[in-house]
Amino acid sequence: MDIGIIYLLFAFILLIFSAVKDIKKTKQALKASGKIALAVFPVLFFIFILMGVVSAFVSKETIASWLGADSGVLGVLIGEVVGCFALVQPAAVFPFAGVLRDRGASYGAIFGFVTTAILIGVSTLPLELRCFGRNFTIVRNILTFILVFIMSIIFILTLK
Amino acid sequence: MKRMIREALIYIVATLIIWGIIAIISPVKGMLVGEVAYGAFMKAIEIIIAVFIFIGLIQVWVGPQTLSKLLGREAGWKGLVLASTIPLFLGGSLVTMFPLLKTLRDKGASIACVMAFIAAWGGKVPLLPLEIEFLGWRFSVLRTFLIIPFAIVMGLLGQSILEKWQNRHSVGAKSIT
Repeated sequence: MDIGIIYLLFAFILLIFSAVKDIKKTKQALKASGKIALAVFPVLFFIFILMGVVSAFVSKETIASWLGADSGVLGVLIGEVVGCFALVQPAAVFPFAGVLRDRGASYGAIFGFVTTAILIGVSTLPLELRCFGRNFTIVRNILTFILVFIMSIIFILTLK
Repeated sequence: MKRMIREALIYIVATLIIWGIIAIISPVKGMLVGEVAYGAFMKAIEIIIAVFIFIGLIQVWVGPQTLSKLLGREAGWKGLVLASTIPLFLGGSLVTMFPLLKTLRDKGASIACVMAFIAAWGGKVPLLPLEIEFLGWRFSVLRTFLIIPFAIVMGLLGQSILEKWQNRHSVGAKSIT
């Protein structure tokens, strides 16, 4: 059976449980899901087309030389920097990373890209500054970048 | 709501323009772009819908109130462990996380907890089906488990660096450690 169908079945079973327990909360949950869909689907459309653009215009050799196994830690740094500037919904990060992977990027570079794309956002910096102040923002973002770099070494060493 | 629809339209129109330009310059490449996009969409659509349902349910059943109850009250090690694990299961984006965490901070959660919380939130367990589909289960499992020690280190190190830094800047600085 298709794995997507299994997830869907599981989601519907959870929905039924939720509805049995509290129908009002379940309606709210569906509304929240709808809102997320409205926010994420257009971004996904953009990302899917971008994936096509990468496939059509960027050669495997280019990706492999920038982000591939031979690029080593430099590839990780490139992945991390691109992740910092990627203006994407977390749900769109994984499909895009999948294309990079298929085109020869190393798991270390993929990890760097995925994690900074989720945790460091140039576009969310103003909000972070307003909520937590300058020092917190500087420390959190730089420390995240460094720790992600260290962890990506584990990926380079273990996943080929 | 109005802003969301406007943003959605901007993304859709911008994407159509990019795709259109490519198709005009080279119809073959335009087709190829469409094929890759369609393939990725078909591969992901069922999983994405399931994931949206998961996130919606989590948002309602584990709301901000539940979180602040859990994290605001628990201090010390227990708080840090909770902050390094519970957020793994949350959805949302940084835009929704920062205001929530500001509220937690104002209610007394430590800097370490807030830093660990953000890091652990990067675990993205609700998106795990999508991650496994596109990046394989070995990568996904390793990433998810590494996030927990990462969050703990992030919290402890982040707080101590921030405290040292702020002490140096304050008048008559004295070390907390």
